[in-house]
Amino acid sequence: MLKLKKVISMFLAMAMCLGMAACSTPGQKQEPVKPADAAAETPAETAPDKKVLRYSLLADAPTLDPQLMNSIPSSTVGFHIYEGLMRNHIGEIQPGMAESYEISEDGKTYTFHLRDAKWSDGVEIKAADYEYAMRRLVDPATASDYSFLVTSLIKNAGDINAGKMAVEELGVKAVDDKTLTIELNNPTGYFLSMLSMSQLCPVRQDLVEKYGKDFSADADKNVYSGPFIVKEWKHEDRIILEKNPNYWNAGEIKLDEVHILTVADPMTAVAMFEQGELDQVNVPAEVLENYKDKVIYYNDGANDFMKLNMDGSCELSNKDLRLAINYALNREDYILLSSQNLYQPNTRYVLPQVKGVNGDYGDEYPYEAFPLKGDAAKAKEHLAKAMEELGVTDPAAIDVELLTTDAERTRIEAEVLQNQIQTALGITVTIRQVPYKQRLQMESDHEFEMVVTGWVPDYPDPMSYLELWPTGSPYNHGSYSSEVYDGYIKDALTNTDPVKRMEALFNAEKTLLEDGGIVPLQLRRNAMLINPKVEGFETYFVGINYDYLYADIAE
Amino acid sequence: MRKYIFKRVIISFVTIWVLATIVFILVRLMPGDPFSSDKMTPEIKANIESYYGFDKPLIEQYFTYMKNIVKGDFGYSMKYVNQSVNKIIADSFPYSFDLGMRALSLSISLGLVFGIIAALYRGKQLDYVCVIIAIIGTSVPDFIIGAMLQYFFGIKWGLFPVAQYQGIKHTILPSIALGFYTMAMVSRLMRASMLEVVQQDYIKTAKSKGISKFRITYKHQIRNAIMPVVTVLGPTVASVLTGTFVIESIYAIPGMGKYYVQSVQNLDYSLILGMTIFYGAFLVLANMIVDILYGVIDPRIRVSGR
Repeated sequence: MLKLKKVISMFLAMAMCLGMAACSTPGQKQEPVKPADAAAETPAETAPDKKVLRYSLLADAPTLDPQLMNSIPSSTVGFHIYEGLMRNHIGEIQPGMAESYEISEDGKTYTFHLRDAKWSDGVEIKAADYEYAMRRLVDPATASDYSFLVTSLIKNAGDINAGKMAVEELGVKAVDDKTLTIELNNPTGYFLSMLSMSQLCPVRQDLVEKYGKDFSADADKNVYSGPFIVKEWKHEDRIILEKNPNYWNAGEIKLDEVHILTVADPMTAVAMFEQGELDQVNVPAEVLENYKDKVIYYNDGANDFMKLNMDGSCELSNKDLRLAINYALNREDYILLSSQNLYQPNTRYVLPQVKGVNGDYGDEYPYEAFPLKGDAAKAKEHLAKAMEELGVTDPAAIDVELLTTDAERTRIEAEVLQNQIQTALGITVTIRQVPYKQRLQMESDHEFEMVVTGWVPDYPDPMSYLELWPTGSPYNHGSYSSEVYDGYIKDALTNTDPVKRMEALFNAEKTLLEDGGIVPLQLRRNAMLINPKVEGFETYFVGINYDYLYADIAE
Repeated sequence: MRKYIFKRVIISFVTIWVLATIVFILVRLMPGDPFSSDKMTPEIKANIESYYGFDKPLIEQYFTYMKNIVKGDFGYSMKYVNQSVNKIIADSFPYSFDLGMRALSLSISLGLVFGIIAALYRGKQLDYVCVIIAIIGTSVPDFIIGAMLQYFFGIKWGLFPVAQYQGIKHTILPSIALGFYTMAMVSRLMRASMLEVVQQDYIKTAKSKGISKFRITYKHQIRNAIMPVVTVLGPTVASVLTGTFVIESIYAIPGMGKYYVQSVQNLDYSLILGMTIFYGAFLVLANMIVDILYGVIDPRIRVSGR
């Protein structure tokens, strides 16, 4: 017995040695656990005089190369490290690198006068840096997927992007070191609001050429023109921004540092917020109930709807059937069942928060295309007409496939939709779930009947949504085609009178919905918790989701 | 022995080449493509495809890729556009390796101890305790163990940091969560194997020779019983060291596991390929080491004798 105890204690001792050895050897030799990080271990105690804002992302920013950015997390960081000609601060257009600007009488030529300012490495910022950046964006060799922002906007951008014209032909010219002109295809009122998008922000030709593909791959492989610089970027772990002393408006910037941590699990992020390790966090729908009184809701611009295929390959080419589906849905129930009321039911197409003539579009043009709770009588009426036109007697003979992605949330959404449509109309709805990337491809290949999809705006104007549906538009995956609609869009593109233009856009929206061109579903909302000490942390719904430009931490 | 190792190395390279080829074909067969997005237009897609050389015939792409692999160049990620796959692996693998080493040393040592105790005290209370721990470890999935450890030790009692990988303190919870399953598996295997060995004739012989119980246990029983454990360690070590998606997500650790899963979701061809080849090479290496270890532990299969 005694010997046995010896054996056991020997093994235990061995185990402990092994365990301890493991704790000391790799840990101290490996990079991840550097003593330099010890300060970050207790974030609450990091130099009390420093003002630090900490928030998290579900996945690391895929890139910080301004022209290659194609995701909201990336461009949110980009917004704070690069300086556009103008600044769009939650919808308010403020001067950026341009001190002043003039617009030609036809509204197509913009002349910007740049202020004296320096890159974070002390080199002067020149108009040529903007010219180079915008050429780089549309150059097919750059292969930027966000070149679509300007391909129909800036003169010759489309042809250059399609490889039909030299990049020097772009309608962007550095007249001298401090003057830049930009020529547009059409007078475009919202153009100024787009200029703070990272994709249109300057880069330095010498550095792009020096680093090649690795440009901006790490904190030290780029220089910065905006209010913050990237001090450290540990991929999939943290991005640390530091106030840029060279920034032209540095006096207005109050934060010393911004820590952007990658936390893949939203529940972990909530836990870190609870422990005081984060200042802001988005609460997932599953636990929203626990935080109901503390959260602040904000729209991130995402608008979910169903695209319907109208190219003649299925019954949905029938307008009455499309309208029947639209009237059949009880969108309030749908929201309750699919997102526990985190999202908002929606029966129109354009995000109400985008800019109208003076105020918000939704306030200026209120509209409810279909009742939120649905209208069973109208649904039946349209169904009867549709059946007659389609020549069927049994509604169950109408069989449509509902395509969606294979995520848990989208499965629940699809099941609620399937149930509501089948119950109200008696038609057959089959759900098909595929991986996200496959859904996107099937959409653009027009290989679907009904698909749950969405859109986020690229500029705060109804056109950002409505440009999808003109006949022949590359995003018109449903093959919607209406001369009336096309007419309104054409009018809006060329009309210089802001009121008439907005009316044309509203009429286009109405036409699309009255034709049952889409099935509007929901506006996505986020519920965030924020440290009460943080002031001026704003959310926005175009291009970026957070704006902490002028944020401050109260003492 | 040297000849054997040489042969194994050759076979390993062939294995990895076959793996690379199969995965190269399989990723292309997956529906969808890496560049699909809500806002993609045909012109822009064409630009991106020609940028990555996708406009060339597949066979040409294959040879280009293989040539680059031989040079040790896995290309650039298609999602993290400025990051080379080599860099991503070099950045993320140390985290997974560090965490994996901690988890393994903890789980293997404790697993062996529990297994041996359980076997020696078979049918007694200590045995039941060990068996219960092992059952919990094998049947409760890691995301539950991970989340529970995080909740109790991190949030409720505040003993350890909730997440991130910053210092020794941060490594404890994820190491336990990651190692729990391996520990349970090792202890179950060890217990079963110990009980089997104790029936063997050589143990009876040793007993009849009057050798002390300690010596029998230590020299004969454990040494022989450990073989099956060593067998499973090869693949286990490889998979634990190259990272796990769940634990890395829960504890916000920038390891390889997360990249691996996300690369498949994103259809990031070059990253999927690079990670698979790296993981495959690691697995092959671990198995080779295990095979060589057999010879060291068990003289009967000392390979040099062949």
